[in-house]
Amino acid sequence: MIHRLLAVLSLAFFIGNAVNAEPFVQGGPIGSQTSDGYNALGPVVQQPIEFPHYRHARDMGINCMYCHTGARRGYVSAIPRIDKCIGCHQNIESVRNKPRIKKLFEYWDKKEPIPWKKVNDLPDYVRFNHERHIQRFYFRQNRPVREVCGYCHGDVANMTVDRRVKALSMGWCISCHQKDHKESDTNMKTSHGPGECWQCHK
Amino acid sequence: MSITNLLNNWSFYRNKRPYRGQYDLNRQYSEYKWAMALDLDVCTGCNACTTACYAENNLPVVGKKRFQHGQVMHWIRIERYWDEKMGEFPEKGASFLPMMCQQCEAAPCETVCPVGATSHTNDGLNSQNYHRCIGSRYCSANCPYKVRYFNFWNYPSTAWPAPLPDQLNPDVTVRTKGVMEKCTFCVQRLNEAKSRARTEYRLVRDGEVVPACVQACPTSAITFGNIVDPKSKVAMMWKNQQVDLYKDMQEKDNTVRGYRILEDLRPFPSVMYMERVRDMEA
Repeated sequence: MIHRLLAVLSLAFFIGNAVNAEPFVQGGPIGSQTSDGYNALGPVVQQPIEFPHYRHARDMGINCMYCHTGARRGYVSAIPRIDKCIGCHQNIESVRNKPRIKKLFEYWDKKEPIPWKKVNDLPDYVRFNHERHIQRFYFRQNRPVREVCGYCHGDVANMTVDRRVKALSMGWCISCHQKDHKESDTNMKTSHGPGECWQCHK
Repeated sequence: MSITNLLNNWSFYRNKRPYRGQYDLNRQYSEYKWAMALDLDVCTGCNACTTACYAENNLPVVGKKRFQHGQVMHWIRIERYWDEKMGEFPEKGASFLPMMCQQCEAAPCETVCPVGATSHTNDGLNSQNYHRCIGSRYCSANCPYKVRYFNFWNYPSTAWPAPLPDQLNPDVTVRTKGVMEKCTFCVQRLNEAKSRARTEYRLVRDGEVVPACVQACPTSAITFGNIVDPKSKVAMMWKNQQVDLYKDMQEKDNTVRGYRILEDLRPFPSVMYMERVRDMEA
């Protein structure tokens, strides 16, 4: 049972039963416009632990993909399992008595996964390939990781609990795919993202 | 595009796909063109491909009554027919042929869709977007192979009772009532293989990815691959059988068995069949 729950948790892009899927709520409250013109700010999500992204990604400078390991090799970026958290935090005595860490170890002692809630949700008929974007912009072009992830996820390094800031709608995806991205600093050839239905829709 | 323009340049527009050299590695128009070769001499008609397709692509089982109404949803089917004169024992002349979407280059279904739900991909596949489809069924009417299937019923609520939704393939949408669907050459597998290959700075290797029907075929009657690569197995079979993707009528000698179905309608299908050789006197 625990393994099953862990597997479910690890899918940030969990695709469930299409019949019983939750309705896809697009955009945020009226008036919350982003710089690219899409009404995008998502709802505030109450997570079981208020995970401080700013502490890990900004203050400590940890690469996003240290925890979200799936992003460079698969469709889903994956929310880390609890042993990933414990692996570091059992050796960090200085924060051991902070309330969030206590909560973390409570889950660990109970041998239960943390029931994280999804923040960046896509409809079931869309697949977003994290690997392609990370491989292209991070590994091939050596752009900073916070910039590459930030194209879609916003400035997570300055957030506590992650909140959706981009529309994640088809028009928004296409608006970037239609741009010509330079392949490298030396190669002036440009290429834009694929525009076929079947690249994203399944 | 005005009608006058269309009529004046009919041959150009009609020949837009496939144009010669469209799938050529040296010209770098497109790196992939998925194609099949199906050897009817090897095929035993066991229906394993159909079963595999049902499992892979979340096809609903419709039941006897709806089958009789012609509402069955098999993307690949074994067609039976008795066309050979066998005299005293006509059942001896039974033939069968697996029929799936032929992924035509000049696909008749694409031109008639009023909302552009079906279109061509760079890989030479005939894509079907379920969420744009409005269910006009023009494509099915225009398909010479009759391989497009329409969801007359709301299968998601009936075809899979309680524990069965757990076995659905999460990479394929469960289609709802009122949309058209068809064989995709298992595009979810192709996309994954292409992504893996691009990460490793290479093209998809021959045999690295196959659709479910090819994987399940016990006699390896179906060969699948990238016809752009001249060394792939399927490209060599097409060449050996003297079937050319760009031609609507093949000039070949009688010793080879390869043909494409309804070639003279000029849809330029991507599936080559090889005739069954029969001993008519036995």
